[in-house]
Amino acid sequence: MSESAFWNEDWMKTQQKYWETWTDMSRQAMGMKQPVKSPLESAMEHWWQGLSPGANDMTRDFMNKMMEQTQSYFRMAEGYYKNAGHSNDWMDTANRTVADLQKLFSGNMEGIFGNTESAGDDALHKMMAFWEMPMDNWQRMISSLSLMPGDLLRNMPHTGDLDRFLSAPGLGYTREEERQYKQLTQRVVEYQRCLGEYMGFFSNLGMLSANRLKEKIDALIDEGNQVDSARGLYDLWVGSSEEVYGEQVMTPEYAKIHGRLVNSLMALKHKLGQLVDEALGGMNMPTRRELRTLQDRLQESRRESKAMHAEIELLKEQMIELRSLATNKQQTAPTKRSSTPKKKAVAKKKAAAKKN
Amino acid sequence: MQPFNIRPDQLAEEMYDYSRKLGKGVENLLNAEKIDTGVTPKVEVYREDKLRLYRYESPADVVQSSVPTLIVYALVNRPYMTDIQENRSTVRNLLAAGQDVYLIDWGYPDEADRAMTMDDYINGYLNRCVDVIRKRHKLDKINILGICQGGAFSLCYTSLHPDKVKNLITMVTPVDFQTPDNMLSAWVQQMDVDLLIDTLGNVPGELLNWTFLSLKPFSLTGQKYLSMVDVLEDEDKLKNFLRMEKWIFDSPDQAGETFRQFVKDFYQKNGFLEGGVTIGDRPVDLRNVTCPVLNIYAEQDHLVPPDSSRALRNLTGSKDYTELSFPGGHIGIYVSGKAQKQVPPAIGKWLDERS
Repeated sequence: MSESAFWNEDWMKTQQKYWETWTDMSRQAMGMKQPVKSPLESAMEHWWQGLSPGANDMTRDFMNKMMEQTQSYFRMAEGYYKNAGHSNDWMDTANRTVADLQKLFSGNMEGIFGNTESAGDDALHKMMAFWEMPMDNWQRMISSLSLMPGDLLRNMPHTGDLDRFLSAPGLGYTREEERQYKQLTQRVVEYQRCLGEYMGFFSNLGMLSANRLKEKIDALIDEGNQVDSARGLYDLWVGSSEEVYGEQVMTPEYAKIHGRLVNSLMALKHKLGQLVDEALGGMNMPTRRELRTLQDRLQESRRESKAMHAEIELLKEQMIELRSLATNKQQTAPTKRSSTPKKKAVAKKKAAAKKN
Repeated sequence: MQPFNIRPDQLAEEMYDYSRKLGKGVENLLNAEKIDTGVTPKVEVYREDKLRLYRYESPADVVQSSVPTLIVYALVNRPYMTDIQENRSTVRNLLAAGQDVYLIDWGYPDEADRAMTMDDYINGYLNRCVDVIRKRHKLDKINILGICQGGAFSLCYTSLHPDKVKNLITMVTPVDFQTPDNMLSAWVQQMDVDLLIDTLGNVPGELLNWTFLSLKPFSLTGQKYLSMVDVLEDEDKLKNFLRMEKWIFDSPDQAGETFRQFVKDFYQKNGFLEGGVTIGDRPVDLRNVTCPVLNIYAEQDHLVPPDSSRALRNLTGSKDYTELSFPGGHIGIYVSGKAQKQVPPAIGKWLDERS
């Protein structure tokens, strides 16, 4: 290991802070003192924030993912540790951890998403953020398809009398334009409704996963096995979550929710595209619709051109074959003629020999 | 017995150990050089638009088969998975098994390729590549090895051009697209594919990544990174991981019209089983596949369940049909150490017996 700056200074400070933190937590486990607020994560975050500007894109991306998981891992250890502070009975600790998870998942996921500041104080509460992963992946994907951040649409108001207002017909000279924008807003509302439905589905899964974790713990007891590390606990939690997820996303209900989410987003983007096209047309600029018409026509021309090219190549090959056949004929014809007298000569010789 | 045995000092030690590994590993990560993929020497023998047809160079001491084998990879992700690193290369091991290997790289379609159809890919690009190889080797027929979606394309191709295929190998290829354990299929049944394509044009690689990662979100987007801490200190293992990471997220966009037909005809209508697939102006009928077929599937495949591949058994018109199961996953079948030892040699042997 080279003596790089981050290793010597920042990293050692971070390590020191870890030990202090764990000391604090050990004290708290023995009922002596409250630990500082989320110290492991903030120390780790502080360290990575200092280091990340020097990393290339791939490394930074990779490490960001790693840091996210590190936080989940630490949160799980931290949550477990806090429960251990209430009891010396490990079974009781496990039960408490699972019960906390169940309690959290029985709450409203939307409320937690919308109130992350207050949720951030509690390690177990944060641990639930693990279940945001599918949602988080969706938001990232949406962001990559749009100029808008993925969570922008989630936070727009979408309840109340908006539906009724949007259903009212437009009036006057700008009627058509008004209709277009109302349709756009209706699609935003519909997408938000589908997104809420999707999030609600995952909220239920969190609860089921907590129950599955409890079942797995019970199974450990029956089998006489033990978990002897935070990593083992984390893996157990991942296994429980993945199992439940795998079962639930194969249900017809989820297929509908997933379909509605994707379809509503596409309907929204489609409408946006139409409006953008209209604006571009108004400015006398090429539109997406026109471009696609050109692409279709161009592809058709390319198909024809390639087919013709293939035919020409085939014809060329046939021409070459024909020429070669003709050349062969020309070359072989005199040879045959010259062979005839020889044959005749041989026949004469044979006849002469017989006579003799 | 208690289910947990985690003492506070043990927990602290574990956290410290994790942090130490992470800190040390980050330096390796920051120092990681450019990640190379596609390691076996190859020569470009044909190009058309964004497509490239490569021929791999055989080791000097290996006698090559007289019938070349064309690898047809999926449009999803990149074909260098088959040659990702020196000790994990299906291509290299096929060469070692005496096969003369060609591979199609479809390239990265962009918006100008949106209108490309399955007909353009199969009766166009693929057929022309086959013709190029046939001409180079003065052969009527060559071998085709189709992988995943490329396997489905190869089945369509062989059905439409049986006179050009001597032997067909399908690897982790979906045939029955609606087996009960096919998660992808369950999800797309309710999707309005026309609206998706009409809206997006091409299907972005990010959307495909999201879909694939959503199959196992906690393992694939979470646990995997935590496990990496254990190998961060090992430069070689780290590079292996980064290579895979690069491949996973190296997702070309999909030409819209091809995606539209593929999802509708196969995922939604289960076209190989139910019929009704037309490419160009000709129907696809697997009974036209009369050449010898080797169907290889992975027993723990979460993308193409084994039953999906095994469905081929009763659908072709071949009298020489063989199955090979591999105890691994969809990716492991190309890159795992066990696969390297088992799969390419088995393919080589099967081909040699039929050449």
